[in-house]
Amino acid sequence: MSFDTEVGDIQLRNPLILASGVLGTTYSTLQRTYEAGLGAVITKSIGPRSRIGNPNPSVFALQEIRSVINSVGLANPGYSIFREDIQILNENKIPTIVSIFGENKEEFLEVLNGLKDLSVLAFELNLSCPNTEKGGTQIGTDPELVKEIVSMLRKETEIPLWVKLTPNVSNILEIADAAIKGGSDALVAINTLKAMVIDIQTKMPVLGFKRGGLSGAAIKPIGIRYVYDLYENFGDKIPIIGVGGIYRGEDIIEYLLAGATAVEIGTSLGVAYPENMIRFFQMKIKKYMKEHQFNSIKEITGGAHR
Amino acid sequence: MTKQTLPNDKPLMGKIITKELECEDTYKFLIELPIKAQRALPGQFIMLWVPGVDEFPIGIAGFKENILEVGIAKMGPGTEAMINKQIGDLVGVRGFYGKPFKPPQDVNHLLIGGGFGMTPLKLLTTTLLEKDSKQNIHVFEGARTKDRLMYLDWFQDLHDKDLITFHVCTDDGSYGYQGFPTVDLENFLQENQTPSVMYVAGPEKMMKAIFNIGKKYSNVMDMQMSLADRYMRCGFGACSYCAVDPTGWRICVDGPVFNTEQLEQISDFGLYKRLESGEKVRI
Ligand SMILES: Cc1cc2nc3c(=O)[nH]c(=O)nc-3n(C[C@H](O)[C@H](O)[C@H](O)COP(=O)(O)OP(=O)(O)OC[C@H]3O[C@@H](n4cnc5c(N)ncnc54)[C@H](O)[C@@H]3O)c2cc1C
Ligand SMILES: Cc1cc2nc3c(=O)[nH]c(=O)nc-3n(C[C@H](O)[C@H](O)[C@H](O)COP(=O)(O)O)c2cc1C
Ligand code: FES
Repeated sequence: MSFDTEVGDIQLRNPLILASGVLGTTYSTLQRTYEAGLGAVITKSIGPRSRIGNPNPSVFALQEIRSVINSVGLANPGYSIFREDIQILNENKIPTIVSIFGENKEEFLEVLNGLKDLSVLAFELNLSCPNTEKGGTQIGTDPELVKEIVSMLRKETEIPLWVKLTPNVSNILEIADAAIKGGSDALVAINTLKAMVIDIQTKMPVLGFKRGGLSGAAIKPIGIRYVYDLYENFGDKIPIIGVGGIYRGEDIIEYLLAGATAVEIGTSLGVAYPENMIRFFQMKIKKYMKEHQFNSIKEITGGAHR
Repeated sequence: MTKQTLPNDKPLMGKIITKELECEDTYKFLIELPIKAQRALPGQFIMLWVPGVDEFPIGIAGFKENILEVGIAKMGPGTEAMINKQIGDLVGVRGFYGKPFKPPQDVNHLLIGGGFGMTPLKLLTTTLLEKDSKQNIHVFEGARTKDRLMYLDWFQDLHDKDLITFHVCTDDGSYGYQGFPTVDLENFLQENQTPSVMYVAGPEKMMKAIFNIGKKYSNVMDMQMSLADRYMRCGFGACSYCAVDPTGWRICVDGPVFNTEQLEQISDFGLYKRLESGEKVRI
């Protein structure tokens, strides 16, 4: 039995990948999380210049639904400074995927060109962060723009490009199709869902930015549905990476059955000790594979489409 | 039902029931929470939401059932907005977060701090005094001047009652001896060969200096220091803006209190921190 995973041409020791924005601001948290047993890690989304993000509160838990709402707003030091963190990850041989964003085509190009000389497993294009006015949602909801950006970046590098999709659209298939036509090497679904929390005592939105994005257990059925739909339509063309609300090993199996080649995990690793969570995930996957006589991860992928 | 601790959830709205000037630019608040919890441990902190303004980490100075004590020092817009709050106003509390101080048995307890670092040391003192057997507690506090000594009356009163030994000093000599807390601390370590544990909370550069002093003495069994010079967003481990290199420990869950063995491994300690953007800068 083996956990070996292939996402296109990329070989991973297992299908578990750290999702962008959780434990991904420093090389040391990325390295720590990888060493806890992941297949690869994804950095916090990196843009063209330093951003301090949105005011606090910008991340808090919603206990009842085992979820987290955030409006961090892509706080990041900019690619020219974050290079140093990636270089350390390179030196320490940590399989690193770099998430990048821009407010327009030119910014995406600038960030990609500023980092493509490093040893990067893939670039994940964050077209889907719902927290900024110009980038995020606008780009990721416009199929023409998605295709244009992906095909433009495609010409600049041989490094695989993964497109991360937002669930906040009426037709995700249209956006996925545009990403594929642009030359994307994998589709990642989903980013956070638009959400908000109001305090009824003070009658005020709690997030400093008022609006935010929901992650965690509450969004898992939505992620499963999107991965299922994407696999049904494009499963023969492109690998799909499932993300959203993974809290248990069972959730990972569910994503694989829906059609995922690999999964990304964010919130649950952040609200607990990543070391413990990852151990539980691996134990559960192993047990399931044994019980259901699977020898490889690949055999599980898409199993629910019958 | 009384919970073990507060749930990790959206801000729990608490009502300010007491507000007192503690020392210059620093106020003590008692906040009444809508649910009870068994205890808060010394060194733990909350994320305090001043509605419509900001949310930031604040140490726990005291906690009983559902009454939380905090001490707020004016720094910028967030802490100032808190200081302008009045009795009856609502503020949000998330927590209790972080790893506490862990005092062992049968040692001299040396509590060393300055500024708002005194808040967790106040709760630590309370906790040590609640133990069944009498503990040997020494509190070392320093400030620029008398008006900036936090909890001066509270610690002085315990000293006068012979419950602790209070070593107090100011830069200008306006109270206690003139100089730094490290003077009395070193005197103590030289004169007392019995095992001691140091608990330190204050500006990180000061803590680093104290750490280097403590390492010279074989009678110092452990040094536990609370790292608070880090930007925090979530407070529970998800965002990683508070992390230290090269270990990847998050101040909010793996700390804020670290022991000697851990501090040795944190190369950022006393030297580097990360800004809101994640950029690493010199402290
Ligand atoms: C674990 C911990 C415990 C603390 N306990 C206390 C306490 O008991 N009493 C007290 O008065 N202060 C405490 N602080 C410091 C307090 O959080 C800052 O003084 C406060 O955030 C300043 O906000 P401001 O808007 O007033 O000032 P600003 O002008 O916004 O900031 C002033 C400085 O405060 C720091 N700061 C601002 N926002 C944050 C944040 N979200 N997280 C961490 N640091 C920040 C930065 O270093 C900044 O340069 C603690 C900090 C930490 C990390
Ligand atoms: C605090 C936080 C910050 C995030 N930041 C980013 C980001 O910078 N870029 C990105 O593509 N996704 C970001 N995400 C979304 C996650 O990568 C992931 O798509 C989403 O949280 C769903 O997965 P989960 O339920 O496992 O967390 C963030 C999520 C959280 C909770
Ligand atoms: S404040 Fe978010 S991880 Fe520590």
